[in-house]
Amino acid sequence: MLQLTINTLALGAAYALVAMGFVLILNATNAVNFAHGALVMLGSYIAFTIGSLLPVVGLLLLPLLLIAAAIVGLLLYFIAYLPLKDKPVTSVFISTISAGVIFENAVLLIYGPEPRITPPVIGTSAFKIGDTVISEQSLAVIAAAAVLIVGQQLLFTRTRLGKQLRAAAQDPDIAAACGMNVGLMVALTFAIAAALAAAAGMFLSATYYASPTDGANYTMKAYIAVTIGGWGSIPGAVIGALLVALFEVVIPSLPALFPALMQAVPHAADLFTMTASTIALFIAFLIVLLFRPQGLFGETIKRRA
Amino acid sequence: MVGAISFRRISMMAAGIAALVAWPFVFSTPFDLRMYGIAGIFAIMVLGYQFIFGHAGALALSQGAFFGLGAYVTGLMAVNWGAEFAITFPMSIVLAVALAALIALPVLRLSSHYFALATLGIGQVIALIAIEWVSLTGGANGLAGVPLPSIFGFTVARGWPLLILIWGFVAIGALLSWQIMRGFYGKACHVMREDEVVARSLGIDIDRMRFTMLLLSGAYGGAAGALYAHAIRIASPEALEFKTMLACLTMVVVGGRTRIGGAILGAILIVHLPEWFRFFDRAYLIFNSAILIALLAVAPEGIAGVIARLLPRPPSSHAKVIESVRGEEGTLPERRGLLLPSVTPILEVRNIVKTFGGVRALDDISIKLRRGAITAVIGPNGSGKTTLVNCITGVDTPDSGRILLADVDITGIRAHDVSSRGIARTFQNLRLIDDLSILDNVAVARFRAEHVTLRQALGSSIQDKAQARAYAHAQHLLHRLGVEDVDRLCGSLPYGVKRRVEIARALALDPMVILLDEPAAGLNESEQNDLAGRLQDIAADGIALLIIDHNMPFLQSLATYMICIDHGRLIAEGRPREIYQNPAVLEAYLGPRSAPLAAE
Amino acid sequence: MRASLASISLLAALCGAANAQTVKLPIIVPITGPIALEGTSQRNGALLAIAHGAQSLKVEGEVLDTAGAPEGGANALERSAGNKSVVAAVAPMFGTQVLPMIPLANEYKVPLITTAGTGAITEKGSRYVYRFFPSDIVTKLAQAKYVTEVMGKKRAAILYNATAYGQSGHQHLTDYLKAQGAEVVYADAIELSTKDMTPVLAKAKAANPDIILLQMHTASMALLLKQLAQANLGIPVVANTMLTMPSTAGLLEPSELKGICAETSAWIGKGVSPELDKFVDDYGAKFGGVPDFFALQQYDGVMMVLKAVNSGATTADAVQKYLADNEYKGVAMSYRSDGKGNMAHSAAIVCFDGTTRSPKLVKRYDAIASAK
Repeated sequence: MLQLTINTLALGAAYALVAMGFVLILNATNAVNFAHGALVMLGSYIAFTIGSLLPVVGLLLLPLLLIAAAIVGLLLYFIAYLPLKDKPVTSVFISTISAGVIFENAVLLIYGPEPRITPPVIGTSAFKIGDTVISEQSLAVIAAAAVLIVGQQLLFTRTRLGKQLRAAAQDPDIAAACGMNVGLMVALTFAIAAALAAAAGMFLSATYYASPTDGANYTMKAYIAVTIGGWGSIPGAVIGALLVALFEVVIPSLPALFPALMQAVPHAADLFTMTASTIALFIAFLIVLLFRPQGLFGETIKRRA
Repeated sequence: MVGAISFRRISMMAAGIAALVAWPFVFSTPFDLRMYGIAGIFAIMVLGYQFIFGHAGALALSQGAFFGLGAYVTGLMAVNWGAEFAITFPMSIVLAVALAALIALPVLRLSSHYFALATLGIGQVIALIAIEWVSLTGGANGLAGVPLPSIFGFTVARGWPLLILIWGFVAIGALLSWQIMRGFYGKACHVMREDEVVARSLGIDIDRMRFTMLLLSGAYGGAAGALYAHAIRIASPEALEFKTMLACLTMVVVGGRTRIGGAILGAILIVHLPEWFRFFDRAYLIFNSAILIALLAVAPEGIAGVIARLLPRPPSSHAKVIESVRGEEGTLPERRGLLLPSVTPILEVRNIVKTFGGVRALDDISIKLRRGAITAVIGPNGSGKTTLVNCITGVDTPDSGRILLADVDITGIRAHDVSSRGIARTFQNLRLIDDLSILDNVAVARFRAEHVTLRQALGSSIQDKAQARAYAHAQHLLHRLGVEDVDRLCGSLPYGVKRRVEIARALALDPMVILLDEPAAGLNESEQNDLAGRLQDIAADGIALLIIDHNMPFLQSLATYMICIDHGRLIAEGRPREIYQNPAVLEAYLGPRSAPLAAE
Repeated sequence: MRASLASISLLAALCGAANAQTVKLPIIVPITGPIALEGTSQRNGALLAIAHGAQSLKVEGEVLDTAGAPEGGANALERSAGNKSVVAAVAPMFGTQVLPMIPLANEYKVPLITTAGTGAITEKGSRYVYRFFPSDIVTKLAQAKYVTEVMGKKRAAILYNATAYGQSGHQHLTDYLKAQGAEVVYADAIELSTKDMTPVLAKAKAANPDIILLQMHTASMALLLKQLAQANLGIPVVANTMLTMPSTAGLLEPSELKGICAETSAWIGKGVSPELDKFVDDYGAKFGGVPDFFALQQYDGVMMVLKAVNSGATTADAVQKYLADNEYKGVAMSYRSDGKGNMAHSAAIVCFDGTTRSPKLVKRYDAIASAK
């Protein structure tokens, strides 16, 4: 049980960073960033590259990684968002999908299709408590993610820059009227979101390897997390991400946790397979959409008058 | 425009069709024919997608699911039961439509990205099920050995025969699409996609229309999928994956969202692009995507849209069209002059309460409107005036209270039904459809009156009589309101003209009541006088008018009765002169303890 | 008709033998998309074979990418097969892409040379599919036999990926294990994108198996084995051939591989034969890195085709006959068609000893299918 909790938290923490970045861009541009998963994947490859030049642990690479990723975020802003910001939102949808494809294939060209091992976050040792294996990696990920989440929250609520970013996201017209450079704010949002995604990428690939095709899966998970948690809400994104990790780790483990379940429920083995749990996640996500589209923490959707 | 296609456009279309027919003769290796066949299959899928994405304006991500389902149905029936094309093809369509209906019901009422997400989620679930359910679908391997189509014992061979079959269906699909969307129904769709609220206020049942559009896209998707299974001889989960949906989306964006030529062009381009870019070796996907982004920035309406813009607009000959239905019923507005203004209220609002969040926007309001009377509603900003109009027109539902129209309770009835029962409105911010002409904007209001449905659209002749009658009716009204030159697009009109067009549109509904939200805003004095005169004419016809405005001079000469609302409550009512002196009214507007307004 | 055709082709063959003629061998494999890894190995093996085996011929091995879509292979075949100088085509190892190619190969009469493992491709009654890799039927039997006969296990857990390869392997393993008297106590399909294997390991543990069998792809399998090593369940593992790919073993520490065995077609290493040494050396020089079995068996397949052409079979038809009737002693093993196009009938079991990432050969199963 403890094992599951820690694994869920570690996975959820990484997903939370991904979802948060996703929401930031969503709020600032009202557009879904389909390249977000690719940003996560890029983060892991940047970590790989830096790591092969500087053989240190992930945490020490992190500052360099964040800066490099921020630059990639700006690149994404310039190629996929800026030329299309006055066009209908579906254009940005498609342009970010295309950007994701470009990133994926560029990485494939440069690094080849084999999965890569990236630098561990702290180290690879683990210690056992009874039957539970706790890797220092998992703990490091949870801690580092927590720091980043709190840091992002402080940035946005306590600093002037953060408030400007929020203002530009909430009401770009008024913000511009107040003299704020909305374009710059949006670009910075992309940079911050990419940095968060890259950190998540490094954390995830330290345990789970990096491969060029990882992106699509992460984008989908972010999308689901943000929908369940609340479209546009940052705390919602974090909660949503934890829920996604829950579905991935805990739900399929239920038959092992509660063997009585296997007897009680017919076809229990089929209901709790990995694929069935993925289907269950999608169904849960659909139910949220249908009955509470604002998610757990989002604002009520007002009908346009 | 009905019957008025210019020579240039016809020759353009003819050239396009000639090119399509010539293509397989020019590129005729078996490989080229194969690619052209696949392009045709995707063209069918995209034509279908245009219904929901292009015409209805809803970002649905379900087209891949319909496509894949069609492929699997055909695969399953042909491989397992040896069923013939005449059975598998319709079944693929029927089941895809069934799926569309199933997902439409819960999902269509969601707005924009929620709708997209929900359809995406459903598509993913179906793809996962296809992989999991190995005994039925063959799992990740798919169902191999799908035969070539067998029509009444005759096998359609690879190469030219299959190509003709596929492109035959493309032609049928294109014709069907054209027939449905070219007339009145298509115009209503256009309005719905540009402005939902306006569409509802004109009696158009948006939910039903979107439902129909989704079903149509499902039908086409299923048909395309069936042909796909026959063409590549396998039904596999890849058809259900997001990649297929993505390809479809790309084609419709590159080609054009609403034009039939765009669907075909987009399909041909995107299917062939990887081939043409093959020399880039492993980098070709990068170049593909880069070009797509460039196209989005430079030509968002798609290549077909760019071509259409380069062609001159056809001169419309409405005169002929209208002449063809002269004298028919419905071409002239009814003159109600015989109905004398009466004392019995035609519209009654009784004690309605409406709360938003914690705020009471309407607090126990009651008003009565009488035929031929012009009632003005005044009050400071945020007092609830627009909410009142929204409640009456069904856009919002009051929490308690009743609304009666001609003694019939219409509380809580949906907006489009309210409109069709005889309540019309104009909007504070002038909601006309900019890229439609004046005539079209007004004629669309005849949608309900002319009983326009999908069936009607399918059956309408080249002349589309219903639309012709609507045009006649609309032109008459516009003439009455002093608006001529009705082929101009609404986007470039001066304010005063737009206002009169909107009123004409409201009149086209044959209403008993018209609610006008700040009609004098933005008009100069002579325009205001003109407007006042016209509104008095309309009232004299026996229509009850409710006018929200701030402009006191305008209202004073016009209104026969005046109501003042503040904080959702009715604080004064009576003749205008009395209202201006009313201390409560003054306090509401100006704050406590002010001098009375100087009456003019 | 046939006689005149035969004499014409003989004439053409003689003419061909006289001049250094051009022969086309399109290499239709996925080099982008989800199976780029395996496809690239195929490509490399085929190209190396052309370098080694062309002799006086001019062989054009155009590489055509099939990416991920099922019609990718068929499209590419349609494109290239019309040409008269095409003698054979390399087909992807992805069953879903090969199946649509078969009707085309039948029509164009071009033999397909593939290393796909999916059983179905040789079940379609086509004379034009030649599989240079032991099919699932052979390899899974070896895997099942090893764990039951040699290791004496009775309670098996099967973990596989939710792909065609995984599902097919699961199906065959289940059948064979039952036939051998063993019980499958737990089985689950794992998505390729799954990262955290805890649920699967927990449920596997709860079922109390005495052996774990795998049928997984590179990254997924490495993740599973890594987490399995951490969980320290103490249950032995016999995996599928993907584990022997250097790119898979390279993701794990030798200690994480200790005691794990895998079925494979042939063992690749130095010191077995001079031909294998040459293959490994030349592969490293030309493409960098260490070759895997996809590359090796694809190499053998193309070499056999080139041997056929060099001995006079200069048309696709002649090559097909040669492939159907002859035995070929390749670098990995001997190949001979069983009538359906299955050329490889041997499997091997290799095991990792915990000190290196290269496994050692433990047992060979030759002509195993006929022993069924």
